[in-house]
Amino acid sequence: MEPIGRWLDQARRGESEALSVLYRQFLPGVFGYIASRVPDRATAEDLTSEVFLKMVEGIGQLRARDEAGFAAWLLQIARLTVAGYYREREHLPTLVSFEPEDWEEEALGNGKALVSMYLGMDPAEIVETQDEWNTVVGAINALTEEQRQVLIGRLILGYDVATVARMIGKKANAVKALQFRALQSLHRLLKTGRRRDISREASPIQTQHRGGKP
Amino acid sequence: MKPLSERLNARLQRGDRRPWNSEELPAGPREPTPASDPEVDELVTVARWVQSRPQLQADPDFVELLETRLLLRHAALRPKQPARKVLSHPWRVHPVYGIALGICLLMLLLGTGVLVVAAQVSNPENPLYAVKRLEQHVQISLAGSPEGQAELDLQFAGEQLNMLADLADTAHAQAYRQALADFDQQVSAAASTIQGLPAAPDRDRLSSELATLKGDARHMLRGLLPQLALAERLLTTDELGRLGDTVPRLQSVEIVLSAQPDEHATISITGDNIQPGAQLLVNGQVVDVQGSFQNGLLVFMTVWNGDQHPQSIGILNPDGTVAQTTTITLKSSNGNGNGNNGNSNNGHHGNGNNNGKPDKTPTPHH
Repeated sequence: MEPIGRWLDQARRGESEALSVLYRQFLPGVFGYIASRVPDRATAEDLTSEVFLKMVEGIGQLRARDEAGFAAWLLQIARLTVAGYYREREHLPTLVSFEPEDWEEEALGNGKALVSMYLGMDPAEIVETQDEWNTVVGAINALTEEQRQVLIGRLILGYDVATVARMIGKKANAVKALQFRALQSLHRLLKTGRRRDISREASPIQTQHRGGKP
Repeated sequence: MKPLSERLNARLQRGDRRPWNSEELPAGPREPTPASDPEVDELVTVARWVQSRPQLQADPDFVELLETRLLLRHAALRPKQPARKVLSHPWRVHPVYGIALGICLLMLLLGTGVLVVAAQVSNPENPLYAVKRLEQHVQISLAGSPEGQAELDLQFAGEQLNMLADLADTAHAQAYRQALADFDQQVSAAASTIQGLPAAPDRDRLSSELATLKGDARHMLRGLLPQLALAERLLTTDELGRLGDTVPRLQSVEIVLSAQPDEHATISITGDNIQPGAQLLVNGQVVDVQGSFQNGLLVFMTVWNGDQHPQSIGILNPDGTVAQTTTITLKSSNGNGNGNNGNSNNGHHGNGNNNGKPDKTPTPHH
């Protein structure tokens, strides 16, 4: 049995240490997946917390016994959590304020938590950071779900093609093709985004995808 | 030449194990490539750029905080998990275990239900009566001490006695016989257990309880006698005798037939506790004839007008107790006697073995 299998068994039996190990190992992948899909870090952290709380609650019933199966399960929870997030936002009324908004909130687009997170930073740096975030999110959101999962598995979790193939239930060649098309799309989207950024240099305080569904 | 996707994968595969803490933005492939491949280079650069984005990396403080939250949540859930695990595990492992567990639970429920219902049963004709008796036997055998066993024997004997009162009619003859036999067995068991106890206050107490039970039983059974048919009366009289009551017992029966046809027969009965006014029973039927005591014998003079020989002769005391025998001696008034050597006295239906037959039998009174 691979080491992860032992940790999974122990976690299923309710051992805290095993849960910690699994959490530490899979947090980067889950956070990376969610962060690449939502408009800001605070939302990414909220949704990541939600995913791992669900992991703690549901691991007793989990059937997966290997790393790929467990990663697939976690990413499935993450995908549903992100989908739920966007579903909820669709039902929220759009509020338009007649008062001039604080420039920091305007730049960040989301609440006081973000203001405190960016406190002490140069305003230009904040804008740049947020713009870059939006660029990444916009590009990754434009991919298909399978392409996203392949990128997360290959680039963030660092799995080989065979593991990612087991994770998403495809053959190795299909994973290579998905990986290639995903990076090609990202390349194209990022180049387009960069050109757009250059054209907007005159008005830097603008955000893309302010919480809307991509 | 390999397709682009293969070449790209080969490039990514080389030393691309998770550069998570690297803040530097990769400008291109890390390792020298054997040949220039601009298209693949560009995509590898994109991959490295995505990998290095700080936006996709979790903040260390957040990582710590969330871990603490998870462990707290896990600790809060933990007390609930064992019970759920016990129930859900067998179902999850294999459906056969689930089915087996289901059947076991069903049997347990049914079994418990049957035992509860059986405990209420008070009629031996009920199919659950056997379960009740079995339940009582198990309870007795599981009792921790002989004293406990004797107490249970007495308790169950008392229950059997109460049951008899409800069955004392001709409609429940079979059930009455069964309940009486069970009562007898229970009393005997109690007496035997108490007798085996060492001399101690417990033994005295239990002996006293047994004596009380026997007294109650005698009183109750005597009260039931008038409601019973002859067969049940015989059994009840027998039981009364075992309970220490005074009951009639027959020692001998002699029938002397008159030499002339269509004449009389004299039936002489010897025995104990035959009361004045006792009635004659021939083949289990009361014969309407007056008896008289002569020299310690109860003598009946009756018309002998039948062809059948008597299988049994008995008496019915005025108090309702009955005694009967199949041991009958037949004689003719000219001195020739034929023994009818049956057996079973005082309420037992013996099988007579007749060596000689009387010419006629008396007419029973229905």
